[in-house]
Amino acid sequence: MGDMRSRTFPPVFRGRLHDPRTATSIGRWLGLAFAVCFVTGLISHVLQHPPGWAADDLPSRPAWGYRLTQGLHVASGIAAIPLLLAKLWTVYPRLFAWPPVRSVRHALERLSVAVLVGAALFEVATGLLNTVQWYPWPFSFVPVHYAVAWLVTGSLLLHIAVKAPEIRAHWSRRSPGTTALPEEDGPDRRSLLAAVAAAVGAVTVTTVGQSFTPLKDLDLLAPRHPDHGPQGLPVNRTAVAAGVGAIPAERYRLTVAGPRPYTLTLDELRGLPQHEVELPIACVEGWSKSAHWTGARVVDLLELAGAPPHARVRVVSLQTRGGYRVSEMGHEHARDPLTLLALRLNGEELSPDHGYPVRLIAPNRPGVLQTKWVGRLEVLT
Amino acid sequence: MRMNLARLSMGAAGLVVSGVGVQLLLDVRDLPGVLVWLGGAVVLHDALIAPLVLLVGWALVRGGARGPVRGALLVAGALTAVALPVLLRPGRPANSSVLPLDYPRDWLLALVAVAAVAALVRAARWVRRGRRRPTRRALRNCSR
Repeated sequence: MGDMRSRTFPPVFRGRLHDPRTATSIGRWLGLAFAVCFVTGLISHVLQHPPGWAADDLPSRPAWGYRLTQGLHVASGIAAIPLLLAKLWTVYPRLFAWPPVRSVRHALERLSVAVLVGAALFEVATGLLNTVQWYPWPFSFVPVHYAVAWLVTGSLLLHIAVKAPEIRAHWSRRSPGTTALPEEDGPDRRSLLAAVAAAVGAVTVTTVGQSFTPLKDLDLLAPRHPDHGPQGLPVNRTAVAAGVGAIPAERYRLTVAGPRPYTLTLDELRGLPQHEVELPIACVEGWSKSAHWTGARVVDLLELAGAPPHARVRVVSLQTRGGYRVSEMGHEHARDPLTLLALRLNGEELSPDHGYPVRLIAPNRPGVLQTKWVGRLEVLT
Repeated sequence: MRMNLARLSMGAAGLVVSGVGVQLLLDVRDLPGVLVWLGGAVVLHDALIAPLVLLVGWALVRGGARGPVRGALLVAGALTAVALPVLLRPGRPANSSVLPLDYPRDWLLALVAVAAVAALVRAARWVRRGRRRPTRRALRNCSR
């Protein structure tokens, strides 16, 4: 094949700051962002698809738990975008290391970095596109995003282990590796790191208002805004999309199936003791907003049906289209006094898109499981 | 020695966690599609995005621009990357509360804000430098 080392390949990088100190400085923030993303993602996964061992004991408190963790999940994912791009820029010349493979160990190391880079780019890109409900790929988002998250985390741990000596040598400004680098790069590096920090700040403040409502006025680029939606609250599936249309009040019935089954009309439901709670709708896509809900406590309905204290409860919607028609909850959620079959939102009757006439609202629960247009409660034994 | 043990266990943990990911991926229905997207992400970045950014950086350095100009471009680039999905998503959103804002306007607003901050930083530096210089000259005059 002759000498591949021509004048153009591999390319020579004379630019500054493609050094381990810059990589370490950016890398630790990126590592932190990915760690937060992974942990909050796991929490979301367990809450939405509870494995058998956890299903009955998921905590219903703190009430704002899922709002916080999922808000953090999307915010840390967005913050990771400038960090990841800056990190890859820093180490880009290493892609052209010559010879490309020195030993088996070197080959494995490069392979693990390739997996890390591919999986990291994949996660932030698919996650960001999911927040705008754009699915240009042939596979199903949730299981793949979840699987690749493990791949990123694993290859990141491996990467940190492999690079540990270099990371230690460049950890601080006075570390031996850092002081061995050209001194004149110091101010330039600080200016670059300040710019990366500014980029993280900029993408955060222009999007985080979709869940952190005090910053909603700076929400310029997020796919949701807390003030946009029927009754001032965003929705994911409308009544039309769910195929329920307008449910006539006089025809509505709530069936509670349990040891002492019964059926209630809407007026009878309104006649039960009404409670007002403040709870957020927190969506897996990252947006969330708190609201005042009024309705009957699920625990009261369960008592009327003679449900055993540790029974699981299935909530069935009247919707005819779309996923998440049925949701279940363990006794922690079912017995929580904040868990309501809500009839009113912020003092008004529920609008069709918010689940008229009756919807579930429970603390520390993903939005898709806050079943709307509830027609049936089933006590599971 | 203890450091080595910590390093080894971290590497082992990395392999185990990656193994979980691989195991989960094997259960996914369209695995070839996933692999194309994983590889595609690397190719798109390494062959297109990174060279373009490096080219811009090279032009900047040639033009003598660093500091605030580089910072402004970096922040603007990050905002643009994050805004691409809301700017480009094809088709009608599911309902009026999805993508409810005027994103092209908001994106331009954000870029104008970045440019304004960068100009302010430059101006502040210029003023500071301008103030410092005469002081130095005055000091020299005094000592003469």
